[in-house]
Amino acid sequence: MSTDEDPHTITVSVDGQVEEAVVAPRTLLVHWLRDALDKRGPKIGCDTGNCGACTVVWDGLLVKSCMVLAAQVDGGSVRTAASLCGSDGTLNRLQQCFSEHHALQCGYCTSGMLMTAEDLLDSGDELTEAAVRRGLKGNICRCTGYHNIVKAIRAADGQDVDQDAGEHEG
Amino acid sequence: MILPPLQYLRPRSVPEAVDLLSRVDGSTVLAGGQTLINMLKLDLVAPAALVDVHRLDELRGIELDAAGTLVIGAAATYREIAESPLVREHQPAVSTMAGGLVDRQVRNRGTIGGNCCLNDPANNFPPLLTALRARFRSTGGPIGIRSAEDFFTGTLATALAPDELLTAVEIPALPAGTVVEHAHLQLAADSWAIARAVVRLDVSDDTVSDARVVLGAVLGSPLRLSAIERALVGRPVDATLPQAADEAGALPIDTVDDLHCSAGYRREMAHVQLRRALRAAVERSTDVDR
Repeated sequence: MSTDEDPHTITVSVDGQVEEAVVAPRTLLVHWLRDALDKRGPKIGCDTGNCGACTVVWDGLLVKSCMVLAAQVDGGSVRTAASLCGSDGTLNRLQQCFSEHHALQCGYCTSGMLMTAEDLLDSGDELTEAAVRRGLKGNICRCTGYHNIVKAIRAADGQDVDQDAGEHEG
Repeated sequence: MILPPLQYLRPRSVPEAVDLLSRVDGSTVLAGGQTLINMLKLDLVAPAALVDVHRLDELRGIELDAAGTLVIGAAATYREIAESPLVREHQPAVSTMAGGLVDRQVRNRGTIGGNCCLNDPANNFPPLLTALRARFRSTGGPIGIRSAEDFFTGTLATALAPDELLTAVEIPALPAGTVVEHAHLQLAADSWAIARAVVRLDVSDDTVSDARVVLGAVLGSPLRLSAIERALVGRPVDATLPQAADEAGALPIDTVDDLHCSAGYRREMAHVQLRRALRAAVERSTDVDR
């Protein structure tokens, strides 16, 4: 039984802009964001919910947008990494810290990392190195070894990460 | 598109959900979707329609009833369970487990009901809830409530009929002195388990008055080790309990080689986790006494 002829009309606030669209029920949120709205923040990495490159915030909750249907977010709001910087492109504090601490190499995981990092910073949890590393469990980076990502997030939390021994580039 | 064609239905109430499940051929429940959507991508399941119950408030509550039973709505997320002061106070093992599941993103979506209804041998909740003597409340079928033993019927299988909906998991109050400990070998922190054991000891006068010993991550339903349970009852709670468990006979573990390890390795690791959980339970019990 093909039911793609039974499309859903959805109304969703995406990065502050109200979007109305008609989607097939089987459309994944990440595909709708990228293909219909040209939102390039959420990346398609693994398609299996492991890598976290597609991480967005839906109604205040961090989710992987490859494991959510576009039809499910009807009536809600979604934030992608594009929402983090100012309207003139000014980087927010976290993004600046990622830049200053070289928290990316190829950049593919970065927008997902930023969304999870913002969520960690907003959580009110004490962001020890172990807490940050555990918090990033749902986001895979294959370049950096996470070291500088952890450092950048702790810097954005106001911690004096430059004093950490052995962390300078050599 | 990666997913097969399907219909998406969002009922506004539990009765409407049950009505859809019984009326729409090939429909299945969508809760958090953190396994189901991946199974759809891989063509492991092919429902004609998804009935999304995740937003139904009737399925989201976490409450303590007059008898001290913790009633967790089937669609309560791992995060909601982990952050609930009621769960932390009355069923700390459930709280700890929920807070260590998978990752931050999945904890925001995955549900206790979905975890149990899938009954994947690697899932965390089925063995723990079996040890806690949880009851599974459902609607839409002739049987409204089931014990864990009746609910979990085999690998990836439960007793629920296709048009039946799990509504809540009820966890009875723990008697004073009861300890619950969990041990597992995982591929990585908060990750897939190779072996898992849960031990619950009811203790009175420093003696085991009742016991539940359950293995997970092996084929079939959570595996209750009744011979070991019987061997533990009546014994003093001390460091000899793992030895007593060993003397109850070989573990009747049904498992296979897989991507992560051989069947033999899993059997050995299950034994190791069982001993660790038992030792932890003894230590916890001794701590409680002091």
